[in-house]
Amino acid sequence: MSDAVLTRLRALLGSAGVEREADGLPRATPDSSESFAQVCHVASEEGWRIRLEGQGTWLPADAPAELALSTRALDQVVSVSPADLVATVQAGAPLDEVRRRLADQGMWLALDPPGRPDRSIGSILATATAGPLRYGFGSVRDHVLGCAVVTGDGRIVRAGGRVVKNVAGYDVTKLHVGGFGGFGVITEVHLRLRALPRADVTFTALGPRDRLAAAARAIGAASLSPSALEMFSPALAAEAEWMLAARLTGTDSAVVGEARRLSATGDVTWQQLRADRSAAFWGLTARAALAGPITLRLGVLPDGLEETIDLVGHDLDEGLVSAGGMGGLRWTGTTSVERLRSLRRAMAAREIPMTIERAPWEVRREIGHFGAYREGVGQLVSKLREAFDPKGALQVALEGSG
Amino acid sequence: MQSLLPHLERITGPRWVRHRRAELATYAMDGLPTRESPPAAVVMPGTREEVIAIVRELHRAGVPWVARGAGTGLSGGAVADPAAVMITLTRLNRILSIDPARRRAVVEPGAVNARLSEAALPFGLAYAPDPSSQAACTLGGNVAENAGGPHCLKYGVTANHITELEVVLPDGSTARLGSRGGEAWGPDLVGLFVGSEGMFGIAVEITTRLVPLPRAVRTSLADFGSIRAASEAVSAIIASGIVPAALEMMDQVCVRAVEASIYAAGYPTDAAAVLLVELDGSEEAVVGDGAVVDNLLAQHGARSITSASSPAERARLWQGRKKAFGAMGRLAPDLAVQDAVVPRSALPAVLDAVGAIGRRHELVVSNVFHAGDGNLHPNISFDRRDAQLAARVHQASGEIMEACVAAGGSITGEHGVGSDKRDYMPLIFDAATLDAMCAVRRVFDPLERANPGKVLPIHACREWRAGGVA
Amino acid sequence: MTGEERSNSGRTAVGSGASEPADSHDRFPTAVRQLSDRSSTAVPPLPDPLAPCVHCGFCLPACPTYLATGDESDSPRGRIVLMRALALGELPPTDDALAEHLDACLGCRGCEPVCPSGVQYGRGLEIARARLAEVRGLTPLARIVLGVFRRAWLWRPAFTAARWLRGTGLFGVVAGEGRMGFAAGMVAATTRHCEARSDEAIGSPRHPIASSAAPWPPRNAGRPTVLLFRGCVMDTLFTHVHDATRRTLEINGYDVVEADGQVCCGALHDHAGDVAAAKALAERNVRALADRADYVVVDSAGCGALLKDYGHLLGTEAAAAFGAKVRDVSELLAAAGPVPPGPLDLDVVYDAPCHLQHAQGVHAEPLRVLSAIPGLRLRMLPGSDKCCGSAGIYSLLKPDMARAVLDMKIAEIAAALPRPAYVTTGNPGCLMQIGAGLRAAGVPIHVVHPVELLDWAYLNSE
Repeated sequence: MSDAVLTRLRALLGSAGVEREADGLPRATPDSSESFAQVCHVASEEGWRIRLEGQGTWLPADAPAELALSTRALDQVVSVSPADLVATVQAGAPLDEVRRRLADQGMWLALDPPGRPDRSIGSILATATAGPLRYGFGSVRDHVLGCAVVTGDGRIVRAGGRVVKNVAGYDVTKLHVGGFGGFGVITEVHLRLRALPRADVTFTALGPRDRLAAAARAIGAASLSPSALEMFSPALAAEAEWMLAARLTGTDSAVVGEARRLSATGDVTWQQLRADRSAAFWGLTARAALAGPITLRLGVLPDGLEETIDLVGHDLDEGLVSAGGMGGLRWTGTTSVERLRSLRRAMAAREIPMTIERAPWEVRREIGHFGAYREGVGQLVSKLREAFDPKGALQVALEGSG
Repeated sequence: MQSLLPHLERITGPRWVRHRRAELATYAMDGLPTRESPPAAVVMPGTREEVIAIVRELHRAGVPWVARGAGTGLSGGAVADPAAVMITLTRLNRILSIDPARRRAVVEPGAVNARLSEAALPFGLAYAPDPSSQAACTLGGNVAENAGGPHCLKYGVTANHITELEVVLPDGSTARLGSRGGEAWGPDLVGLFVGSEGMFGIAVEITTRLVPLPRAVRTSLADFGSIRAASEAVSAIIASGIVPAALEMMDQVCVRAVEASIYAAGYPTDAAAVLLVELDGSEEAVVGDGAVVDNLLAQHGARSITSASSPAERARLWQGRKKAFGAMGRLAPDLAVQDAVVPRSALPAVLDAVGAIGRRHELVVSNVFHAGDGNLHPNISFDRRDAQLAARVHQASGEIMEACVAAGGSITGEHGVGSDKRDYMPLIFDAATLDAMCAVRRVFDPLERANPGKVLPIHACREWRAGGVA
Repeated sequence: MTGEERSNSGRTAVGSGASEPADSHDRFPTAVRQLSDRSSTAVPPLPDPLAPCVHCGFCLPACPTYLATGDESDSPRGRIVLMRALALGELPPTDDALAEHLDACLGCRGCEPVCPSGVQYGRGLEIARARLAEVRGLTPLARIVLGVFRRAWLWRPAFTAARWLRGTGLFGVVAGEGRMGFAAGMVAATTRHCEARSDEAIGSPRHPIASSAAPWPPRNAGRPTVLLFRGCVMDTLFTHVHDATRRTLEINGYDVVEADGQVCCGALHDHAGDVAAAKALAERNVRALADRADYVVVDSAGCGALLKDYGHLLGTEAAAAFGAKVRDVSELLAAAGPVPPGPLDLDVVYDAPCHLQHAQGVHAEPLRVLSAIPGLRLRMLPGSDKCCGSAGIYSLLKPDMARAVLDMKIAEIAAALPRPAYVTTGNPGCLMQIGAGLRAAGVPIHVVHPVELLDWAYLNSE
């Protein structure tokens, strides 16, 4: 079987576009949306199952399939328009490379997702994994103006556009950002940029969890506007106590003013990180999400943080926790399917969604990225999947086996 | 239809079912006065349960329907053809709760946009999207259209401010999308529903974010001797990296209409264009950015820059901008309000092109728009009873759209496609993408009974329906 | 008809850049007009005052009946559609639904100041109602009520009897819910209150018109003279307001004079579309009152609005000259200062009468007068620019809608914190409607005319 697939793919893409994975599975690496679409079309026609990959740094490439389809050859920064604050990037482009290209022109993509710095843009979008900067700049979808998507049966859908405001047609982009590839594969994206801030400073404070959580809420209530405000568990921060970190960006005078107000808010003592340590600090906290095989996020509001952290601690094994000042909690660690199920039930009872961002296939297959939906949503999702992947070629476990 | 009316009357009581000719005539248009079609009947539910019962009844009877808020939309989205029933949601207008600690509000779809900000004000909060019609338009309509407004430049459009929706689907079933916190809870169906122009169902309960009021605000008015100079100043401000809370432009025709109205704001009537720049944030940021912006404005030829010193003065500067559309009624009985977006670097060239199109067709074109977003509103004043003139307006509108698309833009930034822009959709979307939109619509509405005939060109859906490759 | 004929004058909005155009009949810029001329299409005429409507809907939140029902047919924009259809013959004047929704308009004109296009809604409504009255006549109830107001020998005994019964306290007892209870509440609401430390200056009501012996020529040469318009309801149930008007004006340097031969102002008839009756009354008033003083002062906003507009109603220069002399009492008091009064330790909310704020454009003056009173804690009632539902005889003809509109007003008053002692507003209809509504809702707040507050404050000055 795998030889037949290999032969067919080589006929489509040439030998440079096809190789074998470590487990012997044929892996196609098309270098255009069009050839990507051809592969999907053939696979869908043949009834082959497709395992999706980006740079291979986030979700394990372990779904059972007849072929792997990777965006890693789609790694170009197509265009950067500083005057419009817009860039067009292929989905396989690694984040650190994109950042470098943008910084050269004074531009900034205000996304700091968990994981390695060379994660592919497509993976960040497909999993909607935003980092601490979501406090100031919104979730992943808020940075995406449009995208090209290849559907499971090999059509190219170009949703949205390259302008910052656009309501033409249904916003199909939203379905793909955070869709885990279940509705197609993102191959190219138009991103909203910001100017690289002139000043970028980070403050940290250590202390008991509840006191830091109260300080985070006080910062919100005082209408301070840090770009990031994130609380880290002791294990994640590699400290004896919990840590609250605030990142201030903008003009020099604005940052100085915010810093002054920050130090006057909440019952905590702030330390400013040395400039050369700041980037490393955020890089390390992002990488912490790879410390265990499973990463999940909980859509909790700020006032529910402490209780939710307690519940997570009770239901799951020891893990690393980071929690946003405006809510949202990320946990990384090792645990069982049963415990995840039980936590998801407890969360659902509190109207808090739990999304599995990263886990081995056997976990994803059992409980899915999303698990059970709320009232009336399940049938919509399954019909949407049918519309975008009629033959079910894309091996993505959105709901799990229940 | 006659057999349907008693069923509807049983649900809402006869007082809330309108079917006489004169009454239907008042529902024949929304804010776009060029599309006129009275519905078969109008039903005005007073509760969420009545909405569900009405939609179920219409589903059972196989009758198409159109949901409507205040009818201030500008793309003909809330106009029903004579076979469709209009479901007017203005009675469902309660603000159900405001949670200042969590910065959330829960409202019914008929709640008026400005009422929500008023209700949030005592808590130091506001609902950020502020379309010009905010005093009248409903949040349900805002959700359907993904409404924008001047302050969306910094704060984002409606989609950025909705976290949870309870929706009634066209078969009368209900679904709860999103979550209070804002996490999608599955695929981002809230994001998909917002901006679906009433074709996916009716949002009967809407949870919105509220944002804290800024610590400091500075509003300035700069006037320019040419439109080109003003639009180059806009491009320079955007490229500087400063994100103003709002950055608006009005040209001379518009300024004069406003200054002749009761909303006269003291704009200089001899200026070719004026820019309204609002900065907000911390005191230091506003002062620092203000100096940079003033400098850029001066560099690009601003003849004068005046900054509003008091809230009353700010309100007056804004008043003229917000009422500009209506004030255009002073020029001619009809106004073709266009809405397109271009990359901000293309603003000077596109505005030149729009001016040339207007001159070529001998039309009065005025511009009042969200310059910071590149969201143009070229408006053409005319009298639709003059068929020949109306035809030229139609022709010029099409050419303006083509010019915007050619510059890399979009056919609508905030008004929606509705019936007005439907035929322009193929300018920016290929067949496969339009097919995908059709397919998404049929997921929510397999029988295509919710707001039929809007957004999607009639011939767009064939290939996808057949299940083949485009 | 071509565009040229429609745009008969040279005045255009474009290029003038001037203030509010006095002439609304020409809204077409030169360019559009020239372009239109090339067209061969026949264009039917529109009722001009409505022509600027671009259907933007900004008037919706300003309309009390729309706020009460949420129904486009009960909104200014919807009614403009109906008025246009009536004018163009697309709907006949006999159409029930058309008449029902045009009748349901309060005529408060709250939509006019918020209209960016300058639609003259009130003028359009006048034309439409006259057309309806022409074809279908007045409803029986309207005919009876308006007939009474045309004849002083009918209304004077009726209101005098009401005033006498009011003195017995009977109305206060039976006031409450239900149509009769509400009517009793309206009369009870006309009861005089006094918050002054001393009430000695108050005498019995003076100067009924029949026995008026107005001093003429003016007593004090050099002081401006003002002629008090007495009206009908004001002159029977609100004589205490007339007294307060006289006293406060005298203190502020005006000589108040009286004149015989005045009749009802005709506003109720005009609003109902009975233009002939309104004109007849207006002519008698112009004859009786013209050129007798420097100003004609009115303490009823509804009457004042029409008196100022007699020029438009009668179309004569004499009427226009008369209208130009008419002032609301608050305008004269504000122009004079007013002379600083004594203190009043009261919480008061102000509700603007539609016919003062929207029709006359008088807004700041009553507030300036009341702000002059030391110790008075004055607040604007939220939604003070919205009609209370009284609207002349509207509350009699459309009781359900009037109550729905009133309920919103009462809810605002009841929610006001700290609780005010008085709601103040300068129009008899509003005083009675709001007063009755407060009684029916069991809210222990009274109504008072602004000049009464100033009058009390002057009683406290020594």
